[in-house]
Amino acid sequence: MLKKNSLLVKNALYSILIIALCLLVGKIIAASLGGLPGSLYGLILFTSVLHFKIVSADKIQQTVAWIISHMGICFVPSGVGIINHFNLLKNHGITIVAIIFFTTFLLLSIVGLWFERITSNTTTNKNDHKPDDKRSSNSEFPSQ
Amino acid sequence: MNSISLTQFASDILLITATLIVYQLFSAIQQRLSAIWFNPMLLAIAAIIPFMLAFDISFEYYFNATKPLNWLLEPAVVALGFPLYQHLSTIKNQWKTIVSLLTLAIIITICVSFILTIVFVAAPEIAVSLSLKSVTTPIGIALTEQLNGNSSITAFAIIIAGLSGALLGPGWLHFIGVHSAKAQGLAIGAASHALGTATVSKISYQHGAYGSLALIVSAVTTAVISPIIITQLSLLFLDM
Repeated sequence: MLKKNSLLVKNALYSILIIALCLLVGKIIAASLGGLPGSLYGLILFTSVLHFKIVSADKIQQTVAWIISHMGICFVPSGVGIINHFNLLKNHGITIVAIIFFTTFLLLSIVGLWFERITSNTTTNKNDHKPDDKRSSNSEFPSQ
Repeated sequence: MNSISLTQFASDILLITATLIVYQLFSAIQQRLSAIWFNPMLLAIAAIIPFMLAFDISFEYYFNATKPLNWLLEPAVVALGFPLYQHLSTIKNQWKTIVSLLTLAIIITICVSFILTIVFVAAPEIAVSLSLKSVTTPIGIALTEQLNGNSSITAFAIIIAGLSGALLGPGWLHFIGVHSAKAQGLAIGAASHALGTATVSKISYQHGAYGSLALIVSAVTTAVISPIIITQLSLLFLDM
């Protein structure tokens, strides 16, 4: 029990260290090159060090799954900022929500229809019925 | 002097703790119900606003107190590299198709959102915010700040886009004849970011894989192309 916990803590610290390092290097790149926000350079870097097996994915998986599933808390402060815009919502709320709905469904339809057409043209046999072939990547990952 | 800063510190701690407790409470209820639409982020926001109004706490005061939560945003974005790593083998064969398709679709949607907002709401900062609503929140917020949008409107728009696509997306896609898991996952990941991806991951493994893929590709694509498009659109529509 104690051993299991200390392993968990070790892995968590390892993950935090790797993420912090990626973010730090990402910020340095962003400050010197510009373009993307530092966190995005950090994301790309994090993917690369995992892909080239510079860091161990097994040690990181659990902590990252925890971080991603609790990510929502970080957005609460900026979300509460809507309090300063009640007037705007009173005047334009319905228009704004309508535009969001319309463009969301537009994007859904473009991507969905287009990709469905491309994939049904290139693959004559239906892959959808045998998902076992496609399980090349790791276990299922909770992405919220 | 000393006692004032001490009270300040105490109230900051209180606000952060309250925010954490409210969020944790809703998230526990969500797990109990196992209902993805019961979104703890949205509900925490909805619960905190009346509390602030009742105790006459200004947004600036609250935001200042909860800054540590905002700092965690950037490491959270970096952590999203993990699902991308997991799906790299899936993307390898198709990445050119997926990237070009998503890029074109995103350009069209950004233009439509921007123009519609300029025409119907006539406020450039809101147009910027609504154009950036399909990406995951940290990237949307970062881009909004870079392009002089309004980050709380962006946060609001991102939640609405996420919820609408997550709840109605699968039904809508079936309705218009998109039945394959790959196409559905990709579409919902592109339009409804993490919220949509989390929802469709429960349908099938392929939904989840293509959703995460679209989430990340569209975030990177939007980050690269939206500054160019939005600057051009602003010049076109606002300098007339």
